Amino acid sequence: MAIVARERLMIVRPGKRRKKLYNNLLATAFLSPYFLFFFVFSIIPIFYGIYVSFHNWTLIGKESFAGLENYIYVLKDPDFWASLWNSTYFVILSTPVMIAVPFFLSLILDLNLRGRTFLRTVYFLPQVLSVAVVSSIWIYVLQPYTGLLNAALHALRILPPEQEIFWLNDPNLAWISIVMITLWWTQGFNMIVFLSGLQGIPTEHYEAATIDGANYWRKLRYITFPAMRGLIVLLTVLQVIASFKIFGQVWLVTRGGPGNETRTMIQYIYETGFSANDLGLATAMSFLFFIFLVTLSVLQFKFLGSKKD
Amino acid sequence: MNDYAGSRKWSLSKTIVYAGSYSLAIILLIPILWMVMTSLKPQGTVAAEVMRRFLPPFTLDNYVHIFQTAPVIRWTMNSLIVATIVPLLSLTFASLAAFALSRIDFGYKTIAFWVILSGMMIPGEATVVSLYMVANTLNILDSYYALILPALAGPLGVVIIKQFFDDIPGELVEAAKIDGCSLFRIWWNLFIPLSKPVFSALAIFSFLGTWNDFLWPFLSIQSEEYMTLPIGIPFFMSSYTQDETLPMTVNAYASVPIIIVFLFFQKYIVKGITLSGIKG
Repeated sequence: MAIVARERLMIVRPGKRRKKLYNNLLATAFLSPYFLFFFVFSIIPIFYGIYVSFHNWTLIGKESFAGLENYIYVLKDPDFWASLWNSTYFVILSTPVMIAVPFFLSLILDLNLRGRTFLRTVYFLPQVLSVAVVSSIWIYVLQPYTGLLNAALHALRILPPEQEIFWLNDPNLAWISIVMITLWWTQGFNMIVFLSGLQGIPTEHYEAATIDGANYWRKLRYITFPAMRGLIVLLTVLQVIASFKIFGQVWLVTRGGPGNETRTMIQYIYETGFSANDLGLATAMSFLFFIFLVTLSVLQFKFLGSKKD
Repeated sequence: MNDYAGSRKWSLSKTIVYAGSYSLAIILLIPILWMVMTSLKPQGTVAAEVMRRFLPPFTLDNYVHIFQTAPVIRWTMNSLIVATIVPLLSLTFASLAAFALSRIDFGYKTIAFWVILSGMMIPGEATVVSLYMVANTLNILDSYYALILPALAGPLGVVIIKQFFDDIPGELVEAAKIDGCSLFRIWWNLFIPLSKPVFSALAIFSFLGTWNDFLWPFLSIQSEEYMTLPIGIPFFMSSYTQDETLPMTVNAYASVPIIIVFLFFQKYIVKGITLSGIKG
């Protein structure tokens, strides 16, 4: 499959060693533009961050060598653990709905209803909005007295007219709001992946089952679910990793409040580095979080790999 | 396809399915309609009655107003510039790298590919503080460079394009070589045109991602003149706590271009998600 270099055009037919060298140089020429950016903006920050984390470092610059002090401080810092727990709590709350709802919607889209392109467009539409727009819309929707959600609950008689729900003032309600916003905003991605999985199931399987007299639910149970299991597991893994990195919508909607009840790991890292002006501490936290996430993905993919065999 | 609705017979369950799926669509659309409707209301009229928002009087004054008061045009231009340049450059560089990985037989190929694959495991958000410090050292903070260059480091494009390149038949390459094409010409005149579907999918996808990116621009941009819409909007909002109409107008304004892009290129976006969702 490899292309042999252009010996024909070269004046001196290269020997084996020269050709190897030539291919290496050629490949390097093709690879270097990409690798330049990959190293500078992906790889170097990791190692630079590790270096910084062993120092007392502010926005002005390096102050002194700190050894393991930053790490010891972080590991003893209750706010670090609280933020890590908050991100974990979000993962626990959001993952089940972030899988179940898009799966359900993809099943609807796979029903071959009239207007299914329209439905797919609308179900996916919120995904294209910016997190800033999404957050801003929802702040007004959730707002008491003038917000849409409370008004709708009043209109449906779920909420008594004289009562108002303060969605963002109570930790539990704030988390529910964040999950609701995230679900509305980002479920479309998973939905489309599920839909492509559903469309990959051979039609003959369903036809054969229909001939055998199976109804929709039995086909769902015995054909669709088994065929989709791998994809459900894969998306769950990807969703867990993505949800741990939550920042934007929480920062913009609750600022981590009420109190610090919804402050996520990324927000705490950001505040430590840029508001408290302690980059040494922030990079130490980042590195611990980095190790945590990479370990998690490796473990999850190991688990996936072993399931596949 | 679990063909459920294909039968001609109209039944109760079919009615329920149609009613349910279209109601869901309306519920999902409501926050967006809410935004658009609020933006069309005269300033200061919305607070009182919630359901009135969907009824006239409507006005476009708010749109005129935001053009005069907020640098939205500048922010839109910034977003457009960045969201156009990033897909162009990143696809060029990623496809060059993918071409080498797919078609050149070189010594450190396994290592190079392994490095890129493990790059997919890097959680960017967890290294954002040190990325800030690297960008600071390079003196590119608070500029277009900050918005563009780090976005070119993503490994997903290389992996997806390489897989696509791997499937291009070798005979085509041989024929091109016999015609005396250089490797660069083969990449440009053969591989790029053949990869149009995967390129458009990745380009739209990258456009959307860049257009909506928040964390990195939020950290790296301070000046109003380099803000993109996602950063400019909350910045603008912070001065409007009481009135809803102007913030919603900015929201609607920022969303219209991206919704139009989505409606036109939906097919490619869906394809991009399928590609990256399954491989990623």
